[in-house]
Amino acid sequence: MIEVKNLRKEFKKTVKEPGLRGSVKSLFHPKTEVVAAVKDISFDIADGEILGFIGPNGAGKSTVIKMLTGILTPTSGACTINGKNPTQNRKKYVREIGVVFGQRTQLWWDLPLRETYSVLKEIYEVPEEQFKERMQFLNEVLELESFITSPVRTLSLGQRMRADIAAALLHSPKVLFLDEPTIGLDVVVKHNIRNAIEYINKQEKTMVILTTHDLADIEMLADRIVMIDKGVNVFDGTISKLKSKYGQIRELNFDTSTKDAGKKLSYVTHFHMSEEDITVTEEGSTIKVRFNSSVVPVSELLFYTLNTVRVNDISVKDADIEEIIGRLYQSSL
Amino acid sequence: MRRKLRIYLPFVNAGMQETATYRTNWIFMMLGNVLGCFISYFLWKAIFLSGDNASMNGFNMPQMVVYIFLIFLTATMINSGGTYDIGEEIRDGSIAMRLIKPVSYNGTFLFQELGNKLMTVCILIVPLVAGVEIVRFRLMGEVQFEVIRFFLYMLSAAFAYLINFFFNICFGFIAFVIKYLWGANMMKNCIVGFLSGQIIPIAFMPSVAEKILLILPFSSLNYTPVMIYMGMYRGKTLLFYMGLQMIWVLFFWCLSKILWSVSIKYLTVQGG
Repeated sequence: MIEVKNLRKEFKKTVKEPGLRGSVKSLFHPKTEVVAAVKDISFDIADGEILGFIGPNGAGKSTVIKMLTGILTPTSGACTINGKNPTQNRKKYVREIGVVFGQRTQLWWDLPLRETYSVLKEIYEVPEEQFKERMQFLNEVLELESFITSPVRTLSLGQRMRADIAAALLHSPKVLFLDEPTIGLDVVVKHNIRNAIEYINKQEKTMVILTTHDLADIEMLADRIVMIDKGVNVFDGTISKLKSKYGQIRELNFDTSTKDAGKKLSYVTHFHMSEEDITVTEEGSTIKVRFNSSVVPVSELLFYTLNTVRVNDISVKDADIEEIIGRLYQSSL
Repeated sequence: MRRKLRIYLPFVNAGMQETATYRTNWIFMMLGNVLGCFISYFLWKAIFLSGDNASMNGFNMPQMVVYIFLIFLTATMINSGGTYDIGEEIRDGSIAMRLIKPVSYNGTFLFQELGNKLMTVCILIVPLVAGVEIVRFRLMGEVQFEVIRFFLYMLSAAFAYLINFFFNICFGFIAFVIKYLWGANMMKNCIVGFLSGQIIPIAFMPSVAEKILLILPFSSLNYTPVMIYMGMYRGKTLLFYMGLQMIWVLFFWCLSKILWSVSIKYLTVQGG
């Protein structure tokens, strides 16, 4: 159980005026200003849940993750994970969590991969029996066998990421933080990693907090989404809630045999819609209509179109999550 | 205690393996130190030859030679990269990866470096001590090696290393505020090198400065172990200076703990 309440983190930033003059000036009279990377964020996560934590670049996701993992101290607000405060007793707290930062590695750069695991075994005091079992399990799920004796610096990105996830899971943590675990990976590796995360979540009821820009990760894995932007909550709920709330945009494709079909159809005047709620594009004989289905129901728009022009084929597309979130990101900018 | 040892011993092992991985780098570093040592030797030779006295401030030429080589050996053994490492980790943000482990931040550095030191000491100690003794024998015509004094020297060097380590860690925490330490580290190395007798024996300083320097922690780094090896500190003096070393170890250990708990609040992880 994770509770985050009114979390806030401020950073001091030196402001430099442009050019050489500015550099010299800031050398003697540095001007600082306080920037709030995270302003006010609250959410809860239940045990065994996979939470997709998303937001555009610079929204404050990583800062929140760093506060939840005990790396950064919040300026104000509180977060408790299974009743523990991450910054109060860091050494004790981090025993219960596993962390993967996709852009960094916790593996021992110059040593063979196997050595990292034996160091971790001692750090987390995993008994020998359990360690063997665990390694075998992780081996199966993440397929480490082929490169476990290679030095970490020689691993490919996909191998390294799998190895990093295994390192985060070695001590069977109750909570797993994944900060962009699929960044820069190819389709197959991404797929394997998603499967592994899902499997471990199901098997061990591990709570997973996942930040990513790859929304396919979210769609496949997350039970719930928390979206933040500019340091505040924007959305909190399930994917289907997100879709029903923001996903009324539908796309209809008509394949017509009527000439100048586009000119005969005037949706805006017929339905008295505003221009924002509908866009019509014509490509050869197909007409693509994107519209807000909460203003005009799909059935009515279909009925009108079929009565006005001759239609050979119709396809209806649901708004996908990528599009919804893209729109949310843009509108909140 | 045993539990703690089990946690940190793998770091010693990893430190040793790391040193072994970059052995060519290590060899070049040692060669560089040896070159510096010889430059120092020829410099002092010129100084002694140009002077009228056979002895300066209680050092004669053979003693000076022994001093130079011993200072080199000690400086190599107690050298600590803590400041640089912390500075780098803060500059590139990788400090985050160390903080997500249930281990003490300073502890991991200490034991990792101990592994590295163990390698260095094991490789260097025999040839260097043998070298120093051969030089001493040729210059003074007698073998002065005493097992007890050698062990006292090693013990004193171990204290010196701990002082240096915790001092460097404390200094490294400045990086939490100023973000990048390279320049500050260079300055610190020069000052410490001078104040610890690495360049000029502290006995050569004006007497007031000498008294102050002998109390300051810097003389505990290089000067005290070398004086013990050379037999210049004996009996009560030896006990006094070793006691002083212990006090400084304790002081910088406590200081590093305090500074850590203060500076961790200022941490900003750079680079995403």
